[in-house]
Amino acid sequence: MTLLDAEGLRTVYGDGCDRCLDATGDRAGTNQCPHCGSVVACAEADLTVRAGEVLGIVGESGSGKSSLAEQLALERDPDAETDGVVRYAGHEGNLLDVDYETRHDLRTGDIALVHQHIRDGLNPEFTGGGNVAEKLLSAGWRSFEDVRARVRELFEATEIPVDRMDDPTSTYSGGMQRRVQIARALANDPELVVLDEPTTGLDVSVQARVLDMFRRVQREKGVAAVVVSHDLGVVRLLADRTLVMRHGRVVESGLTDRVMEDPHHEYTQTLINSVI
Amino acid sequence: MTDERTADDPVASTDGGTTVPTDSVDAVLDSLDGDGLSGYNYAYLDEHTKREVRRATLKAVAVPGHQVPYASRPMPLARGWGTGGIQASLSLLGPDETFKVVDQGADESVNAANIRRLAENTADVETTTDTTEAGVVQTRHRIPEEVLTDEQILVLQVPITDPLRKVDSSDAANRRRHAHKNYGKMWVHLYENVVEWGEINIASRYPTMVAERYLMDPSPIPRWDVPKLDDAENLYVFAAGREARIYAVPPHTDVEPLAFEDREFTVERFPDAACHACGSTDTYLVEVSEESESPQTTREEGGGEAADSSFETRYACNDSSFCEKRREDSDIPKDHHLDREGVDWGPGTPDNEEASSGGAGE
Amino acid sequence: MGYVAVTAGEELIERAEELFEKQRTAGDGEDVAVEQIDEQLGRLTSQAMSEAGLYAPRLAALAVKQAQGDTVEAAFLLRAYRSTLERYDETEPIAPSEMVASRRVSPAFKDVPGGQILGPTKDYTQRLLDFDLLEGDAEDPTEEWDIEDAGDPEDLTNVMELLREEGLVAEPDEAGVEEPTDTTREPVTHPPERDAVLQELARGETGAVTALAYSALRGYGQVHPTLAEVRIGELPVRIEHPYTGDEVTVAHAEVSESEAVVPVYAKREDPQFAFGYGLTFGRNERKAIGMTILDASIQLDGEDEPAENPEFVLDTVDGMDSFGFIEHLKLPHYVTFQSILDRIRAIRERKGLNEDGRVSTEADDEDSERDSDDRTPAAEPPVAEVSDDD
Repeated sequence: MTLLDAEGLRTVYGDGCDRCLDATGDRAGTNQCPHCGSVVACAEADLTVRAGEVLGIVGESGSGKSSLAEQLALERDPDAETDGVVRYAGHEGNLLDVDYETRHDLRTGDIALVHQHIRDGLNPEFTGGGNVAEKLLSAGWRSFEDVRARVRELFEATEIPVDRMDDPTSTYSGGMQRRVQIARALANDPELVVLDEPTTGLDVSVQARVLDMFRRVQREKGVAAVVVSHDLGVVRLLADRTLVMRHGRVVESGLTDRVMEDPHHEYTQTLINSVI
Repeated sequence: MTDERTADDPVASTDGGTTVPTDSVDAVLDSLDGDGLSGYNYAYLDEHTKREVRRATLKAVAVPGHQVPYASRPMPLARGWGTGGIQASLSLLGPDETFKVVDQGADESVNAANIRRLAENTADVETTTDTTEAGVVQTRHRIPEEVLTDEQILVLQVPITDPLRKVDSSDAANRRRHAHKNYGKMWVHLYENVVEWGEINIASRYPTMVAERYLMDPSPIPRWDVPKLDDAENLYVFAAGREARIYAVPPHTDVEPLAFEDREFTVERFPDAACHACGSTDTYLVEVSEESESPQTTREEGGGEAADSSFETRYACNDSSFCEKRREDSDIPKDHHLDREGVDWGPGTPDNEEASSGGAGE
Repeated sequence: MGYVAVTAGEELIERAEELFEKQRTAGDGEDVAVEQIDEQLGRLTSQAMSEAGLYAPRLAALAVKQAQGDTVEAAFLLRAYRSTLERYDETEPIAPSEMVASRRVSPAFKDVPGGQILGPTKDYTQRLLDFDLLEGDAEDPTEEWDIEDAGDPEDLTNVMELLREEGLVAEPDEAGVEEPTDTTREPVTHPPERDAVLQELARGETGAVTALAYSALRGYGQVHPTLAEVRIGELPVRIEHPYTGDEVTVAHAEVSESEAVVPVYAKREDPQFAFGYGLTFGRNERKAIGMTILDASIQLDGEDEPAENPEFVLDTVDGMDSFGFIEHLKLPHYVTFQSILDRIRAIRERKGLNEDGRVSTEADDEDSERDSDDRTPAAEPPVAEVSDDD
């Protein structure tokens, strides 16, 4: 079943002109329009996510993968000009056009984002448990004990020491903070989680454990995910299907195994070779 | 006392020879001569201002709990001393009105007297200390013990208008939260409170949901008074001078203090205490340490403390005008002036036993 | 009625007022005339007028006298009075270039068109108490000056205009509205437009404006301006004649003005100075310069530095607001304090603390058992971890 279907997603920084789209992208070798100077962060991007599936988006920094992820997670950047259609199972119309209320509800319930930067996703003054509880309380939970029990459950699922749940989040290590973000994202049993660069700022050994944990929880809960990373290893580990982006465009897509074993696009080949 | 305050007023003897190019200043100085308030408009504020305050009040009534900005004028009282309340009151008062002012439950408090004096001098109103006789009651930090009716307006002085200020100091961010009824952060605050203290540690200014839409700061009334806001007969007007906002709870509006189902809102407890003057046990009491008149130690456990032994804690009704009535007739209920009985008016009145028991079921 | 902490009727208030007035009149000196304050304590009345937002030197002198020299209280008296006055008309906008300056310095350049005019200032004198003033024989030290009539004052070209013509200074965005807002009639909402910011700063409390501006210089910000102009002079006050429709000058107002460039470039491709502007009633250079720094800081619209955050600055800069709210703490607060006592007692009870502040052993056991599953043992305060968790 298709959970999310996106067509023609576009994010442009700057005034934009008629020639922006033609003058940028893979063939043009840049994402900046030489005519007006606008940056076409991403354009002409189509994708679908099926229920329970993990879609990887890989590319170097500036390829447009984060812009794409932000649109899917219904983030809004007031400095950007955006366009496109996102359809979502069970909702009428284009998700990019919904009012604040609907968007807020969707982001509290159905679609969760794990920010690349922890400071965007967590309030360091709240306790770790409080950060997770916020999602539940925003969704209308009103029993303190129920909230406590659910937070405890989520701490266990994401492998955070439960005895730390009442300590301020600022006292947590980076790996624990990332786990709190994931616990928070999963709090209201969303159907889709968008992870933006989930390994940023983590030691290699910690990265592996966070990713393993996420893969396990994702499968147990059957939640779909979009995982954005510059790291092929992350995408290879988590994603069923993968999109490769460059200069703001999707240059290749397919089953992750196929993309890794038999890359068609020259850029993908370079990427994979450089890793090996 | 001083009927002729102006007799030796140096201004009166100032003659007009100045370097100021017009004589308007002298005219102004002349108009200041007199009993101090001649030359001022009825009810101090000009009609245009009063109309604007009334418009803001009407808007506040139309959108219960929503903070309506208005152009708060500088008043002859310091900001933070009831300038919002007095602007709201003066814009509502007419010469036939009866006005009562209470500060911390007392009509006799200096600041209440000062505000009452301003209204008397400028708006020519009758004043009273009897809650049941007043048309408009201006109050700081209390809602009276006697039930208010649909013919009365309670004007509450407000120091801090936004309950979300507790969790975020930015008004811009908080206005967005109100617009979208996004109160998650306040709920986390309550959650963290219970985590840290075992119960909600908010004394007064208790965050309160109005008509299931806007979170409201009910002004620093004690929690004791919060249940009186719910489904009341009277209009509540909340006015802040310094912060230039007016908001309201119209009659028969749902008002609910934020709390968890299993960590309930509780009011202040006065275990085993009664007013030493009238004997009431169903009113908001305040404690006073007084020098003990009896030589014996008043504390059972504190025998070792010499300093304590000469003081004793006594409780007294905070609402001094109701206390006076109770002293004459200790049995009169809070709805004695109504033709109905058993009116729900917060702790100590029917249907509110749960809140007044003060326990969260532990 | 001994149980009300502060009890007083109107009589008591009047007596307190009379005692206050007695403090002024009790001495042996003669009563200070309002003219004397106006003429001899100009900086005091300037400050009161500036913070009141009301240009009325004689009334300001009266207010200063009545407030026994407290400028904020004096400004408060003026504001309260102004709020009751009918507003008959609004003045026409005046270009600061029309100023007849009695003093003008431009620290940015050694020499400037129109010249540096030192004018009356104590800037370069030694701050020594002048015991001659004890004698009280006023003498005009310039009486003996021998100066020829210098003719009409020269037009001063604004140094900022020169820099602007060269394209070195960023132009502010065109105001989105035709009429400037009036923050005495319309409350400021955040984020504020620049016209509201300037009005609020112009009425700001001198000490607060100075302190906040100083914070930006002191390291809590990035504005270290170069002053292009500091001027004191008179500006005409003009209104439209109700019958002829012509602009007519009805009065003059003395103001202090300051303008500065700030070497912060907004755009990399077209580097231009940021700038700040300050103007305030009366002689008050310190406040005008402080306002300039705050205007420049707020235009940077930062969030991390206090002076760059418009909400922070505007919320704290008004003397009337801070005066009132700080002093309101003297009002009785026993209702709320009773409520606070209730909370702390309940929580101490819950934690099993007895009146001596010690944990009673029995209650402690009970408590820790009950809490063990939902509270951190937290034997030690949490410390930030350096290494990673797992």
